[in-house]
Amino acid sequence: MVLSVCVGSSCHLKGSYDVIETFKKLIESKGVGDKIELRACFCLGRCSDGVAVKADGNYILGVNGANAEEKFVNEVLPLLG
Amino acid sequence: MSYFIDRGYTSLNHEGEELCGDMVECSVNGDMLTAVLCDGMGSGVKANILATLSSKILCTMLSAGVPIKDCIETLIASLPVCKVRNVAYATFSVCLIGSDGKGELLEFDNPAAILLRNGAADDLPRQKEVILGKTVYTTALDLKPGDAIVVTSDGVEHAGIGMMMNFGWERPQIKDYLRRAVKPGMSARAISAALAGECNELYMNMPGDDTTVLGIKVREHSPISVFVGPPIHKEDDAQYVKDFMALPGKKAVCGGTSSQIVARQLGKEVRTSFEFPDRDIPPIGYIDGIDLTTEGVITVKRVLELSEKYLDPSDCTAAVLDKRDGASLLARMLFEEGTDVNFFVGQSQNHAHDGLPIETRMKLKLIDKLADNLKKMGKNVNVRYN
Repeated sequence: MVLSVCVGSSCHLKGSYDVIETFKKLIESKGVGDKIELRACFCLGRCSDGVAVKADGNYILGVNGANAEEKFVNEVLPLLG
Repeated sequence: MSYFIDRGYTSLNHEGEELCGDMVECSVNGDMLTAVLCDGMGSGVKANILATLSSKILCTMLSAGVPIKDCIETLIASLPVCKVRNVAYATFSVCLIGSDGKGELLEFDNPAAILLRNGAADDLPRQKEVILGKTVYTTALDLKPGDAIVVTSDGVEHAGIGMMMNFGWERPQIKDYLRRAVKPGMSARAISAALAGECNELYMNMPGDDTTVLGIKVREHSPISVFVGPPIHKEDDAQYVKDFMALPGKKAVCGGTSSQIVARQLGKEVRTSFEFPDRDIPPIGYIDGIDLTTEGVITVKRVLELSEKYLDPSDCTAAVLDKRDGASLLARMLFEEGTDVNFFVGQSQNHAHDGLPIETRMKLKLIDKLADNLKKMGKNVNVRYN
């Protein structure tokens, strides 16, 4: 799965950096490095619901440094099937 | 052949003084650059007044084509006489140079300028001339691209007196330093900052004299075009990108939407880097055929801050733009490499940014200010709004 975190202006201000750092750690600690390719991307067009994250075709919105772990566990991991 | 005449300077103030007793004044008249460095006697307010008056008078008159004899006459008649020392005195070095690299250097009581050419640092063949009782040295200049002239006040030669060295920094050592420190791609400002920075080290951050270095460098034109912001009308995208790509030189694209527009028109993809060399600046991206792709308004705001620093003559490190974040890369491209800058500014509103401190009007203001600062650096700047 390709997991893209938006680093456009708006999402950047809302904490993309923290989200990426949290995701990096989680991918390692959950041992899913072979299943998830983490990427950054420019504006996903969902600025008002940032930080925007895209997991293959699925948008995961409203992510921030504080809820990144919860979002990852509840919304990203289930998509791995 | 028409070259770009790059100039930049760095000034250290005498320790404890708010004002510098050295003054640099530049003016461009058509093809001709007039750059003047004056060192007023003493330091602080008096020196500053002497240097300001002298540099302004010389620069204004010489750039208008008035002969040097008349300028010196005016100078003698205008300078206020110091009550303590009973003399009115400021030294000067004047460089008059055209875009063909030809011109003249006039020097009065400043250290002799140094010519940097092909990795060597040498004296210029000066001719002695006595004008109204003053000994003025003149040199006919015929500079080639890559050549630079380094003009200094005597604070450079005095650097380190009684501290690091007994007699200050001597000329062969200064030349040796320039040979080692100056790299081919460095701008005039970067050269001046390197030498002044070294002086500051020798003074152990407490300059015992006002110290100024003025660099003048002949360069081939190196145009840079910057695409920032989507145009108002979507149907203009294709023509707009075509015009942008048709310009010579390097290309930078700033902004997420902008990079998508450019990539789409070029039939390429935007790839985004994952690296945060600076956590306050969003990562850069990559588009085939574009030299630099960055985020928009946050990056540009940082570039503007860097340009303020670059223009502060007392800053010895501003030209060292070796960080890898998008703003430093763009700043380096614009300030150090660029000679002619074209901005393509799209004014489309991004409603997603409503309420955030990154909305369109603010972005336009940032670009205006940045364009002004680039002009202050001596660059030719062109802004096109769409």
